[in-house]
Amino acid sequence: MKTPILEMKHIRKTFASTVALGDVDLNVYPGEIRGLIGENGSGKSTISSIAAGMQKADSGEMRFRGAPWAPVSMLDALDKGIGMIVQESGTIQGVSVAENMFLGEMQQFPGPLGTVDRKAMNAKADEALRSIGVQNVSGATPMAALDFQTRKLVEIAKVVMKDPEILVVDETTTALSQEGRSILYALMKKLRDAGKAVLFISHDLDEIMEVCDTLTVLRDGAIIRHFTKAEFDADAIRTSMIGRELQGDYYRSDFTPSRLPEVAVKAEHIRYGAVLEDVSLTVYRGEIVGIGGLSHCGMHPLGKILFGAIRPDAGEVVTGSGVKITNETVAMKHRFGYVSKDRDVESLSLSASIRDNIAIAGMEQYAVNGFLMLNSRERVYVDKQIADLSIKCADRDQAVSQLSGGNKQKVVFGKWIGRGSEVLILDCPTRGVDIGVKRAMYQLMTELKNQGKSIIMISEELPELMGMSDRILIMKDGKITREFARSADLSDAEIIKYMI
Amino acid sequence: MDNEAILRKYKLRQKLINILPVAALAVLFTILVVTVQAKGYRLDMYLKIVFNEGVVLAVVATGAVFIYTLGSFDISLGASTLFSATMGVMTYNATGSLALMILVIFGAAVGCSLLSSVLASVFHIPVFVTTVAMMSVLSAIAAQIITTNGGAVGGISIPSALVKPLDNMGFKIAALAVFWLVCFFVFSFTKIGRRQKFLGGNPVCAQLTGIQVNKYAIIAFVMAGLGVGLGAFLTLVYTPSVTATTAGSIGMNIVVAIVFGGMPISGGPRSRIYAALVGGFSYILLNNILKLLIDSNIGYGVSQIVSAVFFLAVVYVTGLNYRSQMLPR
Repeated sequence: MKTPILEMKHIRKTFASTVALGDVDLNVYPGEIRGLIGENGSGKSTISSIAAGMQKADSGEMRFRGAPWAPVSMLDALDKGIGMIVQESGTIQGVSVAENMFLGEMQQFPGPLGTVDRKAMNAKADEALRSIGVQNVSGATPMAALDFQTRKLVEIAKVVMKDPEILVVDETTTALSQEGRSILYALMKKLRDAGKAVLFISHDLDEIMEVCDTLTVLRDGAIIRHFTKAEFDADAIRTSMIGRELQGDYYRSDFTPSRLPEVAVKAEHIRYGAVLEDVSLTVYRGEIVGIGGLSHCGMHPLGKILFGAIRPDAGEVVTGSGVKITNETVAMKHRFGYVSKDRDVESLSLSASIRDNIAIAGMEQYAVNGFLMLNSRERVYVDKQIADLSIKCADRDQAVSQLSGGNKQKVVFGKWIGRGSEVLILDCPTRGVDIGVKRAMYQLMTELKNQGKSIIMISEELPELMGMSDRILIMKDGKITREFARSADLSDAEIIKYMI
Repeated sequence: MDNEAILRKYKLRQKLINILPVAALAVLFTILVVTVQAKGYRLDMYLKIVFNEGVVLAVVATGAVFIYTLGSFDISLGASTLFSATMGVMTYNATGSLALMILVIFGAAVGCSLLSSVLASVFHIPVFVTTVAMMSVLSAIAAQIITTNGGAVGGISIPSALVKPLDNMGFKIAALAVFWLVCFFVFSFTKIGRRQKFLGGNPVCAQLTGIQVNKYAIIAFVMAGLGVGLGAFLTLVYTPSVTATTAGSIGMNIVVAIVFGGMPISGGPRSRIYAALVGGFSYILLNNILKLLIDSNIGYGVSQIVSAVFFLAVVYVTGLNYRSQMLPR
């Protein structure tokens, strides 16, 4: 039996009113990619973030390479051998790529008169980026100029260049395109083959089963079961994760495209910088339109343009009744809702409560005479969304920052569904949510479609596009390259041809 | 400890932190009463001083809560108060009309606030920067008017008999109560308050939820302007003359008062309108207690240091809940 690199014993952690981990033991061995899987709020990120020095356990003991392990920060942990790539943004916007990568360590590039030799620092950053396969970003590039996926790749390069003994990858792949994922998988395998270890957190069961050698399932802050590669079985893993059999369909069970005759929203000849080039689309009532493509194909800005959050250089977005969508306020007035890919920054106010986040978009629904806000009516409105969406929380006044990713996403859905949105623009709606929540969201989308609502689902996951959409629009280089109608015969390979 | 027990403990801690500012106000009041009596001074006189100083601070701070809720910071409120009072005195001395004087005071105050907010929203300059500029400009204009018309020391004034009937606790309590209740209503029972709190918590998310950032910034500054106008009028009621130093410290005192009242300095959803009232009086009580306890020769400096330490302690305590409630992602 190998000696573990990292031993964690009796780890316990609470966040305010939430028990995130209760007496958890976890060992990580050299030469393994260990998957951590579980529903949102199961404790996967908490246990790994404790190992990586992001936070301290309330109690318990850790040993790294046989010695007591108590890193004071993530930087300290990384210096000593455990690096972590976090799920949400782990970089600083206002500085360059190189400054992000060598944060707190710029003294290794001394320039004249105590300054920093930026040329040397940028060159070193370039080298680190190239070493992981990132070709089109330079160390001198301002971080703010990069999109979410590229920022994530910079973060990966930053951690990997330290050559950690254990690399923690926390739901990072949801932010990456297939190309980015390939880079990350190759790195993980390289580390494993060098006798190091990877802790890999993901909600994608197929990905976990493909990439990992061993698997640990967590539920409600406790370890439920360890699986070896030979024991991997999707149904057994799912059952361990949620503690019950999944009921009902996952995606839509029908394979016939359907819609109502009325137009819900129409975009005509949209141009936006070098990002979008003459994009036109029409979405009907009672229709789910999927928009897919590689991360940079322009589909994410298109979602914002449809909601009026970005003004296009040319072209216009109009409602079915012909009203031009010029900004978010007009869009909301005409019952549009927008779920952003960047949930923690654009869809939620993390310092606010569940109640504040749900109520803010739906005030017209419960205001007396359109202006008077009564707590009693607000509570009823919010409680209905919490109940309808089965949001797991202590109470409506709990801070939304205390919720797991899936429950946060349910709050975002509650915010838009509660106000009776007729057109929902969902940008990567199931990013970072577990299988149970995903299923609930797909069922909800089907239900909304059946009620005559229109859904524009922007996604980087082909199975969900194929599983849920009446039509799929594939984008490449800012243009719609192909439209596919819903069909049981649709294949990944056929769609991918038009993406790449 | 089971989940229920942890939840109970957490809620208890939240409640304690929420009532701490009110408890601190009660403790400071008790200390003032005991100190005044121990020193053999007249309690009624001290209470009157505290009230007169506190009421102006509380009124201006109540309006300022709308700005602080957005996560913004207005350092020019003291200068606006001085400028509005100056314009009011000049108007009365030129026209002899009390009504016109009040109108000009409120007009000047709201105008100054609007100018700050419009400059910030049209030119996309941080609010703090525009208010620093406004502070310099308004102080300079007011000082120039005062020096030209009445001398730097003596200042300019209105006849004391004009506002004497209003210089009583009844009127001031009524003025404070009406203004505070209006602000409380707007802040707690209308879309304006809800949206401003949300905007302060996350402006990006607020915009993507259809909240018009500029509109709500302008409303916040108008509410603050009304507070400044009322504060300037109450200042004239208390002392019917204006010098270049009148209301000079209000800008910074508001920051301290709002924090003393238990509102996070970063604004957002945990902003509380009562923070201005509770904090305003707490701050004035603390200052007066320190004046009583510390030798007058060294009193000012020591008072400032004690206030600063108290300020840091309150910021730390009010931030306790927030710091401990973030999950790793």
